[in-house]
Amino acid sequence: MIEVKHLTKRYGVNTAINDVSFSIEKGTIVGFLGPNGAGKSTTMNIITGYLSASSGSVTVGGFDILDEANEAKKLIGYLPEFPPLYMDMTVKEYLDFMYGLKKVKLPKEKHIKEICRLVKIENVYNRLIANLSKGYKQRVGIAQALLGNPPVLILDEPTVGLDPKQIIEIRNLIKTLGRNHTIILSSHILSEVQAVCERILIINAGTLVADGTPDRLSHDLSNDHSIIIRADGPENEILHAIKAMDHVVDAHSFGEKEPGVYEFSVEGDPGADIRRDLFALMTRNGWPILSMHNTDLTLEDVFLRLTSGTQSGTFLKKGRN
Amino acid sequence: MFAIFKRELKSYFNSPIGYVVLAVLLLLFGYFYYTVLIYGISQYIATSVYGNMFTMCMMIIPIITMKSLSEDKKNKTDQALITAPVGVTSIVLGKFLAAFCVYAIAMLLTLVPSLIISMFSDLAWGPIIGNVVGSMLYGAAMISIGVFISSLTESQVIAAISTFGVSILMIVIGSASSIVNNAFIAQIVNWLSFNTRYQTFTTGIFNISSVVYFISVVAVFVFLTARKIESRRWS
Repeated sequence: MIEVKHLTKRYGVNTAINDVSFSIEKGTIVGFLGPNGAGKSTTMNIITGYLSASSGSVTVGGFDILDEANEAKKLIGYLPEFPPLYMDMTVKEYLDFMYGLKKVKLPKEKHIKEICRLVKIENVYNRLIANLSKGYKQRVGIAQALLGNPPVLILDEPTVGLDPKQIIEIRNLIKTLGRNHTIILSSHILSEVQAVCERILIINAGTLVADGTPDRLSHDLSNDHSIIIRADGPENEILHAIKAMDHVVDAHSFGEKEPGVYEFSVEGDPGADIRRDLFALMTRNGWPILSMHNTDLTLEDVFLRLTSGTQSGTFLKKGRN
Repeated sequence: MFAIFKRELKSYFNSPIGYVVLAVLLLLFGYFYYTVLIYGISQYIATSVYGNMFTMCMMIIPIITMKSLSEDKKNKTDQALITAPVGVTSIVLGKFLAAFCVYAIAMLLTLVPSLIISMFSDLAWGPIIGNVVGSMLYGAAMISIGVFISSLTESQVIAAISTFGVSILMIVIGSASSIVNNAFIAQIVNWLSFNTRYQTFTTGIFNISSVVYFISVVAVFVFLTARKIESRRWS
């Protein structure tokens, strides 16, 4: 549904995004993650045709955003970072205006009422937008994106400024819409992305560093992760014994953490669970294990890892397998 | 285009701008109409009322156009316009037509005193209509320039002051033709001058070439404004 190829955007000497490519199937919800200034909004602005790329192409539903702009734009509902609201209009006037601007063909009254019901702005329908709270403004912004029931929704931080109850409602709304819409949403809230999105794109410093389902991202990254244990016993002997175990690829010591207690990291074969054997080994030798944890990565870890600059290159390949 | 036109026109009258523009213009027109009544000579309507008011009309145009596109840029509402399935030219046309409409309403309302006077006196409508049509054409050209200038900046004040400058320049440039020695240059200045073209209307003469000239200026500046908005995407 959305095809982004080798997108690059330069502002003078600064490169905002650099050779970003991805494609999104119909009916998927994609989360767009990245630290501030990574290029999320720029990418979204290019996909919606607000900005033009320095090089590369974007097609939406088969229409090029530059060459067949009007056809492509008809398919997109866009909520920018700052909702494009006219402060001097009432919610009703604004939605009427956007309805006309987008050349929507659905029955007007009914369609607008339906959307107001979905995003819960019926009670402010006749109020001036300037007088609404941030949360309501955000919801009006979402409402205008939904006008005309476009098959593609691009939402730049849709839940900013909403109260927790509203956030859950909007999340559920997005999930429901995701059944027959293609949705890209950006967010700073990782748990939100994890809860809503079927696929995650992580962008850092203008380049795409990860692309995959949330599970896959944590799974793939935890492959090169190990078990960390703390044990009471002689350092060298323990290390030696662990290294001699089946399915252990490597082990090393982190040194003495408490008096007589050492910490070790044990890397097992991918796919092999060595925790039980490890426990048995240590018990046999009378070296009590004081703690053992498996460093399965949360999305937060994945995010921090990928955006702090290390390993990013290699991970992208893995994430796409 | 129609949606944008409707919204813009409404916004002129949602805020005090539209009313203030109309009120101030009509008040000043009223003053000059009043002097005509004191003279008791209806022939003075064309020269005294419209002759004096012409400069005021040109002064009010920057106020009408200053927020046309600059406000959209500042409030980021241009994102809604540009990502909607409408071409940039129709966005600009909608904006231009709304601004022109405010101005045209003012100009048409200035005919009301003339209509009332015509009940009691035999009016020479030719020069009056000529003045109104001339002001509208001149105004349309000036408004298209004002809309263009407002697309260059986010600041309404900068847009207004720059448009003022251009507006005054277009009024005075005609007089340069009598100072310049070179006949060729004088002719070019004369040909370009909005004022020289406007003057023919004030005598009640409808010069087609002047009509075409003013409409061409509008077309050129609508085109330039559209290109300017388009170019923002590449910056």
